[in-house]
Amino acid sequence: MSENNSINNNEQLALDDGRRVKVLSPGMMVFKRFIRNKLAIAGIIILAFMFAFSFLGGLISPYRQDQVFYKIDSANKEFASAVVNTEYRFLTRDGSQLSTLVRANFSRVVKDAGDEGVSFEADGAAWSVQRLAEGFFGIGTAKQLGTVTLLGKIADVKADPGEEISDAVKDAALKAAKSGVDSFEVDGQSYMLTKGKAKSYTLGTVSEAALASLLNYDVHDSADTATVAAYAFRRAAELALRNGEKRFEADGAAYTLDAADEDSGVIYREGEDAPIATVSNVIVNPVTAGSFLAMDYKAAVAKAIDEKQTAFEYVNAEGETEKHTIRMRGNNYIVYTEQQTYLIDMYAAPSLSHPLGTDDHGMDVLTRLMYGGRISLMVGFVVMLLENLIGIIIGGVSGYFGGWVDTLLMRFVDLFNSIPYYPMMIIAGAIMDAFEVPPYTRIFLLMAIMGIMGWTGVARVVRGQILSLREQDFMVATEATGIRVSRRIFKHLVPNVMPLLIVQATMGLGGIILTEATLSFLGLGIKYPLASWGSIINAASNIYVMTNFWYIWIPAGVLIVLTVLGFNFVGDGLRDAFDPKMKR
Amino acid sequence: MSSTYENVVEVRNLCKYFPIRAGLFGRVVGQVHAVENVSFSIKRGTTMGLVGESGCGKTTVGKTLLNLTPKTSGEVVFNGNTHLDQLRGKTLRDFRPKIQLIFQDPYSSLSPRLPVGEIIGEAVREHHLVPDNEFDAYVSRIMKACGLHDYQKDRYPHEFSGGQRQRICIARAIALNPDFIVCDEPVSALDVSIQAQIINLLEDLQKEFNLTYLFISHDLSVVQHISDTVGVMYLGNMVEYASKEEIFANPLHPYTKALFSAIPIPDPTVKMNRIILEGSIPSPANPPSGCKFHTRCRECRGVCSQKIPRTMDMGNGHRVACHIYDPESGYGEA
Repeated sequence: MSENNSINNNEQLALDDGRRVKVLSPGMMVFKRFIRNKLAIAGIIILAFMFAFSFLGGLISPYRQDQVFYKIDSANKEFASAVVNTEYRFLTRDGSQLSTLVRANFSRVVKDAGDEGVSFEADGAAWSVQRLAEGFFGIGTAKQLGTVTLLGKIADVKADPGEEISDAVKDAALKAAKSGVDSFEVDGQSYMLTKGKAKSYTLGTVSEAALASLLNYDVHDSADTATVAAYAFRRAAELALRNGEKRFEADGAAYTLDAADEDSGVIYREGEDAPIATVSNVIVNPVTAGSFLAMDYKAAVAKAIDEKQTAFEYVNAEGETEKHTIRMRGNNYIVYTEQQTYLIDMYAAPSLSHPLGTDDHGMDVLTRLMYGGRISLMVGFVVMLLENLIGIIIGGVSGYFGGWVDTLLMRFVDLFNSIPYYPMMIIAGAIMDAFEVPPYTRIFLLMAIMGIMGWTGVARVVRGQILSLREQDFMVATEATGIRVSRRIFKHLVPNVMPLLIVQATMGLGGIILTEATLSFLGLGIKYPLASWGSIINAASNIYVMTNFWYIWIPAGVLIVLTVLGFNFVGDGLRDAFDPKMKR
Repeated sequence: MSSTYENVVEVRNLCKYFPIRAGLFGRVVGQVHAVENVSFSIKRGTTMGLVGESGCGKTTVGKTLLNLTPKTSGEVVFNGNTHLDQLRGKTLRDFRPKIQLIFQDPYSSLSPRLPVGEIIGEAVREHHLVPDNEFDAYVSRIMKACGLHDYQKDRYPHEFSGGQRQRICIARAIALNPDFIVCDEPVSALDVSIQAQIINLLEDLQKEFNLTYLFISHDLSVVQHISDTVGVMYLGNMVEYASKEEIFANPLHPYTKALFSAIPIPDPTVKMNRIILEGSIPSPANPPSGCKFHTRCRECRGVCSQKIPRTMDMGNGHRVACHIYDPESGYGEA
């Protein structure tokens, strides 16, 4: 070097390292500017909290994310229904069915005439109704014997051809006709008068064909079914019950009756302790099909209803006392039992063991928020990395090589940008639902799809940046000095694109977390039993949960808002710090 | 690769056209004639100045010379045997250190994310020019030679002034031990006092390393100071080429005369006889017919707009492309 160059002789003028102001490398300057930004520091603190909450919280939490909590509680369960029978039940002597017309006529005349014996015609025959007791009727068929005529003082009974009428019957018939009664009995045989034309009556014999009763018979032992269903048994039993007798006989056997009142009681064979049937006007059925109610339980229900009680106690087969309550619903009574049951602890209010309560599955909300945070943050980062990986490669190739490669790749980017995002995601979600993709696989597929759908923005930015950097003199200089392509890209291009990418990625993270939350909220993303913040908020789509159980969905919303805010603050801070025009 | 061949670089009929693309499919609708039929040669250890207006193609000549933009036609030969455009890949990269470039803008020509020592030494390491154990000392020596200090090695470009940055650029070029450096207006972005420092530095380095420069500038006084030979360009053509002494004493081409008349003389008593050119430089995409200068030339006659002038050798290597000096052109007859 020439001696006369004055520039080289100013060694003594140079600031030596001790005195000179320490000038930082670009990276250090960025860091210094960044930590001076209060908002950015706030963002960093928020994010640090979120990461600690999600990744450490899950370790500290004593619960698993899919642990279901139970509680023991007494629940009023519907146990039985009961109805006070107001419909007559018919039993014919010969086992045949009474026609609908006869039944209808019976009901009509019973209602109209009250207790009086009445008759009606149906199916071309005459029928008579005889009141045997309160709410207990015999229905008889009539056979015509003759005619009774009452004309002033002339009163005559004329027998039909081939029929004979005894004098006693004639007298009774005239007497009945005069007093306006249309049935009478002579020597145990029932007769009836049917009103005809002009003061004349048709006289007939009546034979009992059917019984109409309001009572229900429950057989204790199925072996006794036929006995209890027998006509004579029923007739004798009910007459005894209605008349307050303790004993009756039917078909040659004797029975005793333990009556509670005139329309309910228990029937025993005489001399035996085991009841054969329970009689009641209350019909009790179990609520759950296929279950069986004990006779004494039915009796207890009937008794309580009769006594107009709303609650009763019942000692069950195990000797435990059950509390039952009766509630009227329409014409029915519903019997509830209070049972101690093992219940899923749904929507539990915040407490010490569950600081944010439990959700609709009975899982601890705080624990699910921690595990959900893991997934939300992980999805955010993985998708961001994936987007940037694809974006940098495609954008970098496009920008560095330019020409037709650039044109082709950018049209490809345009193509991707024109795919409607949400319909696409909804379809993808539906496909995953259809194939019943397991929850963990679903997360990975979701991340892959989000990454594949989202790289175009990064690619555009990288391409634009590289296009402009490529023309810078320092890139020409690397070519002129013969530096190889890989070094040119990774030592000169990439470090100059990096700041922008870091800012972009940080800002983008918030967006990705929001998108994931949206998808999970819509039920397309993370599925039960895994949680993400979005899927936790999904509980608020039920208006009842939204209004009553704030502690389930508000915290998740707050976490999402804070995290996105944190990423945006940090992104803003990085952008300002990387901006060389910010000389602070 | 070092050669004792007298001419470090020979340029013959160099042409560079840039296509003008238009429409949806980028159809070529025209050509920008940036450089047309430029020929010159530079002897080892000398400096050739290349002057001309903005946009006349000076920088394009420099870049095409270095094959940073591919040439359209013509021939560029280094050291008598190397055709840069025929080299590919590694051979091309291996030859690159021999021919270097110094940029006009010292701000954009340094990567903002690399420390100065790395900027200067990067290519040295890439080409294994010095053993690894001597690398640091070598970079320090180069920096010292370029007026930079050892301790500045770890600093970043944003900490330097324009003049220091230009020294870094020069150091980056010198470090590769080149034969030939294209200085593309290296001082036009600097203030005058710094310009002098840089020019002196370039001259010192030329002596020390036996360098050959192509010095591109629009500043005639700088060119006058540093050059051994001078080429004058107008609209892609080299209109005059001669030794410095010859051309400044006796400019022949009307354009050269007009250009040189614009050199300010630092003496207020001297009456300047400036030749003011009318109009502005025509578009190189649609250059005038015949002599490209005829639209602005004082001496223009009929033949000028019809015939492209031949380059005439006027003796002493003084070449000029003008009909006035071509007895066969028919200029004198009109």
